Amino acid sequence: MTLTASEPAPGLLQNLPFERAVLPNGLRVILHPDPSLPLVAVNLWYHVGSKNERPGRTGFAHLFEHMLFQGSQHVATNDHFRHLQQVGGVANGSTWYDRTNYYETLPSHHLDLGLWLESDRMGFLLPALTQETLDTQREVVMNERRQKVDNQPYGRSSERLHEMLYPGEHPYHWPVIGYMEDIAAATLEDVRQFFRTYYAPNNAVLTLAGDFDPDDALRRVESWFGDIPPGPPIPPISPLAASPPPLGAPGERRDVIEDDVRLPRVYLASRAPAYGKRGWYAGDLLSGVLSGGKTSVLYRDLVYERQIAQDVGVWISPYEEIATFMIVSTARPGVDGATLEQALVEHLDRAAAEPPAAADFERSRNRMLTELYSGLQKLDNRADLFSQFTTFFDDPGGVAREAERYMEVEPAELSDLAAACWAEDQRVTLTVVPRAS
Amino acid sequence: MQAPPVDRTAPPPPGELRSFRFPPFLKRTLAGGITVYAARLAGVPLVSLELITRAGAQHDPAGQEGLATFTGSLLDEGTARQNSLEIAAHVERLGGYLYSAADWDSGYVVGALLAEHLDSGLDLLAEIALTPTFPDREIERIRSQRSAELLRRAWDPASLADDRLIEAIYAGTPYGAPLLGRAGSLGTLGRDDVVSFYQRHCALAGSTVVVVGDIDPEAMIRRIEETLIPPSGQEPSPGPPEIRPAPLDGIVIHVVDRPGAAQTELRLGHAGVKRSNPDFLPLNVLNMLLGGKFTSRINLNLRERHGYTYGASSRFSGRQGPGPFLVDAAVSTSSTGAAAREVLGELRRIREDLVEILEIEETLSYMIGVYPYTLQTIGEVAKRLEILAVYGLPDNHYDQYTQRLAATTREQLLDVARKHIDPERIAIVAVGPADDLVPQLEGIGPLTVHRRPAETK
Repeated sequence: MTLTASEPAPGLLQNLPFERAVLPNGLRVILHPDPSLPLVAVNLWYHVGSKNERPGRTGFAHLFEHMLFQGSQHVATNDHFRHLQQVGGVANGSTWYDRTNYYETLPSHHLDLGLWLESDRMGFLLPALTQETLDTQREVVMNERRQKVDNQPYGRSSERLHEMLYPGEHPYHWPVIGYMEDIAAATLEDVRQFFRTYYAPNNAVLTLAGDFDPDDALRRVESWFGDIPPGPPIPPISPLAASPPPLGAPGERRDVIEDDVRLPRVYLASRAPAYGKRGWYAGDLLSGVLSGGKTSVLYRDLVYERQIAQDVGVWISPYEEIATFMIVSTARPGVDGATLEQALVEHLDRAAAEPPAAADFERSRNRMLTELYSGLQKLDNRADLFSQFTTFFDDPGGVAREAERYMEVEPAELSDLAAACWAEDQRVTLTVVPRAS
Repeated sequence: MQAPPVDRTAPPPPGELRSFRFPPFLKRTLAGGITVYAARLAGVPLVSLELITRAGAQHDPAGQEGLATFTGSLLDEGTARQNSLEIAAHVERLGGYLYSAADWDSGYVVGALLAEHLDSGLDLLAEIALTPTFPDREIERIRSQRSAELLRRAWDPASLADDRLIEAIYAGTPYGAPLLGRAGSLGTLGRDDVVSFYQRHCALAGSTVVVVGDIDPEAMIRRIEETLIPPSGQEPSPGPPEIRPAPLDGIVIHVVDRPGAAQTELRLGHAGVKRSNPDFLPLNVLNMLLGGKFTSRINLNLRERHGYTYGASSRFSGRQGPGPFLVDAAVSTSSTGAAAREVLGELRRIREDLVEILEIEETLSYMIGVYPYTLQTIGEVAKRLEILAVYGLPDNHYDQYTQRLAATTREQLLDVARKHIDPERIAIVAVGPADDLVPQLEGIGPLTVHRRPAETK
């Protein structure tokens, strides 16, 4: 096994060297050495998320993530966290539409411990799965859903918007955490089958970031992961994913839900170019023009000047197949949803009609760059970015070019994008209103 | 080359430990009475810049709860030279953020800026700290925004639980109301109140400045001395008031009714100790193994053993006064009574016997090992320096931190548990459907049910 060193990255992020290798079993490995602190981040992405589920069997990728912390053949139940924490490691995992990640940052002299734990659950999970741990984790996840969705003010809105924006068979239609009845119905055999299908080295990217020698680290990775056999080819997801049919009739593009809240909240959502496309960066810059900071277009007008909104947020989600653009604004007491919606729509029409003012555009770009730098301070974030760019684009060098992607966008692309994404027949509208008592 | 074989049956042994030290910093008290902490941390082109005054919410007068955070949020809403939007636009040109605020202990003007704009950032910080004008228009705007935020909190189950708990523990003291104040107090705060709070509590004399980033600390200190000049003869603002909550009579239970709620927000807590108490470090160790980390007793019990919750944790809040000790979890409504009893059981058990040797070893090695991880960013290092200043800790505190941790004993933990954790004088708050909750919680202690107050409907 030899390492391929990266070309020196041009532009603003030059201090992000990396080397890459592919093991014979298909595991892609990215090594980002940085000796400034005695730490190493171990970050493993599996290219499986809720988009690989089926209607009626939702929430599975996420429930499975919980099961991966319940021990494996050589690691007892609860010992995954124990082993990591007792050396000062910090660990977690997360599930999203397109991927599931597992990560730990630990003192660098404990690199082998992280590799042991990750390779054991990649290669030796099945013997440790028990009905008892599944039953408990199903309860834990149902409580997670209650805490984050069902018992959360406005908590059902993101779920509802995705249902409206993507048709029933589309892989972004259902929520990552899944529907309650699907979570309750998951069986041990489902868990086993999911593991056999998706949890294999050829469907994963491993990034190490921190204080290590790349050649030595690669040898260790080979020792721990090299003998794990590759799995079968990954089943393709629905061809609908990247190009869903157009949105439905006007009646299907609007909904109102009641919740245990006092202030109405308006949500607008649309489909946008997938993460990595030039249009996605234009979308991110547009979201920064519209919201974020007191002088942003929407905040300045709705929150600061007219005071009809309590808050306003705009963002574009970094999804792999197609992105979701979202605007959220909470009304001030005494203001109804329709008034707020109309004000939002007027701004969207203006954003579509003409490019943003130079000062707004520059502010948004500066903000993106500052956030980028700020996020790169933490090793775990850097490792996660390398895994992300490798999983989605097979391009770890994309991390260092991220700033340029923003710099390349011209102001007129923002208005073009707004015109394409936010037209009346391209968006869905959801209003959450106080429950009538 | 063939990869060497590995033994999967046991955790692999560690390699050679690399040493770690808290970044060196300069500390200097300037002629005007400002103390500066400055540390050079290269790596990103950003600098963390922070002014810390004594204007914390612990100074809120009775009936004027929320005054400190109101004042704090108004400092950057208008100065002698610039109005609110001009200040915001100015900050954005500096490529970062800078804003004013307050917490329990302190008032702040805090920012992170591109290093190349640091000089302008410092000028702006001085302008905000020294010449705020508190325009009426901004006062009314912020008041209306905070009033809506209070309404939101009144309908948010987690906030309801937090607010009810501190009221149960700290009634009659400044800690008894949320930082934001109450609906009743917010309406009474006038411009005069804000101006007099500013004059009395926001003195630059006696304040602290923390700067961390790619800077030359000596040059930075000189720049601060030239820029941030207290009015001549200014006296430092008063130090922390004595906050002495009355101990609870026993276990008191508050159920906040949310008919039809999908889950219950559960809290248990009582007053803790001051951050400056020498017991704070062993208490933090104790808390870590009790409810501070994922593998803590309380989380393993409630989440991994019983599946009652997505997560349960406990903490001692470090404040200049006796901040709360509290346990929180969002639990399924049908298991609320059982979960509350399990937590009480864990609090009793931690006072009865020495913790296991393995438990303290694992906890100490976690806290020592995780230390460098918590110091990766300029903001994290700045926060640690701020803690030295606000709680009067010695300059060598962080150099000795891991040795002091390593010296902690099981006997010490039992001693501080018995002194500072009291499951027989504790408040329990459950926010959820009262009809389901009351039968489960009856018998633990006297119980009060709170319906939603009419004015928030």
